[in-house]
Amino acid sequence: MRDEDEFVAFAQGARDRLRRTAYLLCGDWDRAADHVQDALIRVYVAWPRLTRAGREYAYARKALVSVVLDHARRRSSSELPVEADVQRPDGVDVAELVSARETLLQVMAGLPPRQRACVVLRYFDDLSVADTARALGCSEGTVKSQTARALDRLRSMFEDSSLGELTLGGARTW
Amino acid sequence: MVNEVRTLLHEAASTPPADDIDLAAVLAGGRRQVRRRRARAAGGLAVAVVGAVALGTLVGQGTDGRDTPAASVVPRPEGPVVRLSDAGQAREGTDYELLSSSTNEDLDAANGQYYDGVTDDGKILFRDGPHGPENSVRYALVDPATGAEDWLPPLPDGRQVFATDLGADRLVLLTFRNDRGTGLRAWVFDRTARTWSSMEWAGLPPKADLFQAEVAPNGRLYVGVPATVGGPPPGGWPTGPDGEADDAAATGDTYDLWSVSLTDRADARDEHLRVGAVAFTDDAMVWSAVSGGVNDRIHVRDLATGAEHDFDPRSGKRCNLLGFGALGDRIVLSQYCGTYDDGRDDRVQVLTTDGDLVTTIQGDGIDGWVTGGLVRVTSYERGRSGTFVYEPDSGRFTRVSDANSSYGLGGPVPDGYLLWDTPVGTASSPQEPIPGATQWLARWRP
Repeated sequence: MRDEDEFVAFAQGARDRLRRTAYLLCGDWDRAADHVQDALIRVYVAWPRLTRAGREYAYARKALVSVVLDHARRRSSSELPVEADVQRPDGVDVAELVSARETLLQVMAGLPPRQRACVVLRYFDDLSVADTARALGCSEGTVKSQTARALDRLRSMFEDSSLGELTLGGARTW
Repeated sequence: MVNEVRTLLHEAASTPPADDIDLAAVLAGGRRQVRRRRARAAGGLAVAVVGAVALGTLVGQGTDGRDTPAASVVPRPEGPVVRLSDAGQAREGTDYELLSSSTNEDLDAANGQYYDGVTDDGKILFRDGPHGPENSVRYALVDPATGAEDWLPPLPDGRQVFATDLGADRLVLLTFRNDRGTGLRAWVFDRTARTWSSMEWAGLPPKADLFQAEVAPNGRLYVGVPATVGGPPPGGWPTGPDGEADDAAATGDTYDLWSVSLTDRADARDEHLRVGAVAFTDDAMVWSAVSGGVNDRIHVRDLATGAEHDFDPRSGKRCNLLGFGALGDRIVLSQYCGTYDDGRDDRVQVLTTDGDLVTTIQGDGIDGWVTGGLVRVTSYERGRSGTFVYEPDSGRFTRVSDANSSYGLGGPVPDGYLLWDTPVGTASSPQEPIPGATQWLARWRP
């Protein structure tokens, strides 16, 4: 009862971006692929009304967040990432950068799933507070408070290490 | 050194391994979910968004207009036909006695409370949860007359469980065997010893489908293991008058039937039978050849003698079998039979176990299933939505409610009981579910 060609085209275009978001949400590439598949099944079911509304990707991202949070609720443990990408610009201390990235992901792995999702949606997907709230199905106030707690935790971990200061980058503020 | 969160996040996700997302599996899973959605709700198994929202997903965006079916009028089924407009209004005190109700204002919340069914001795299985990071659930047996709650020991499983068989001696809840939502595990509560025991069967194929499980009168659990999966015809599904690809007249799916003991983990048997869907009466096992597609054969096996017969149910040529049930000497088929210029052709077909056509309830956006010795019909038709009851013995057809909640709630109930739900609250947008629901439990008066 649906236009599968359009759905497949959408899924092929969205899968990579969704998988990266899923990886940052869960810390494991294999599980990220599973989560994206589950989310895309939800998108398939809802596809007719989504194509009308023209908000396919936002729905897919919301479905993905829901899948990941559902899974996190079922698990008592979370995984520590991460595999390193050693390709760095010239003149940069590769070891230091890899260490900073690993530290960030390890601290994120210890965050409550919704706090982690706030960080990923706000600073990887670059969603506004309002859009993050819609993706998580909560209030904007909750997004702000959860994000602030997560960032406090991340920042304190960096301050306590030899890695230096942690900032947001870009135009947004704490 | 200054580290930027954005930069670090993008770098961390910049070099993914090879993409092993299986789009074929996504399509297969999506198709199965669409086809099964209403059948799942019919089993009362899942707390899942259905109703207006779910039906909304069955109609929608057009495609390229190829192969538009020539027929434009919903065809009339063979045999007697009943329509929603024929239903009388059921009245409390006359048609049923209201025993209890429970309202949940927000079914999306993590602290939900629900009726998950009624035991054979009339106690409500009341679920509280899931709660907390462990997704823990606790159950009580509630006396609907007094409201007295008997809380059971905690269920040691954080996965979603589905009430399947609620006896006076034991409760059987099913869940998935793993986090990927496949396989089968049963939790059995011994009401005398007041203990939960987990049942898994090493001999049962790991792909056993939880949603193809039925408890037989002999106490064994019969479960389907996917065998063949239907797919679209070459060139894709034709486009219906509503502009949506129309998968009526689908090939459908089949399963290899297995049975397991609910007391012996070593007892898993291949029944060497390929089926579509299976149901039991007190003295017979009935099965279709196909589910989720066109089914032209119903089989009946006498459980006492093993004698079998089969017949053509004379369902429409485009009818996909979505729900299957049996009670007494009646077999009930819930079907989607295509979309026409004047609406959807949905049917709830009632047959005898000899293949005689008793009646077909036909409507635009309805489904039906066997529960409590009755056929419960749910209509999602605009202006005529609600719960209806068809009595197989008398043929009486009545309307119980004029709205449906957005969720599939409830579970198994013994004969003579009816459990239904109505919406509470307002959806945040037309595409979102209505957040709350009230469940109603009644004793049906024949």
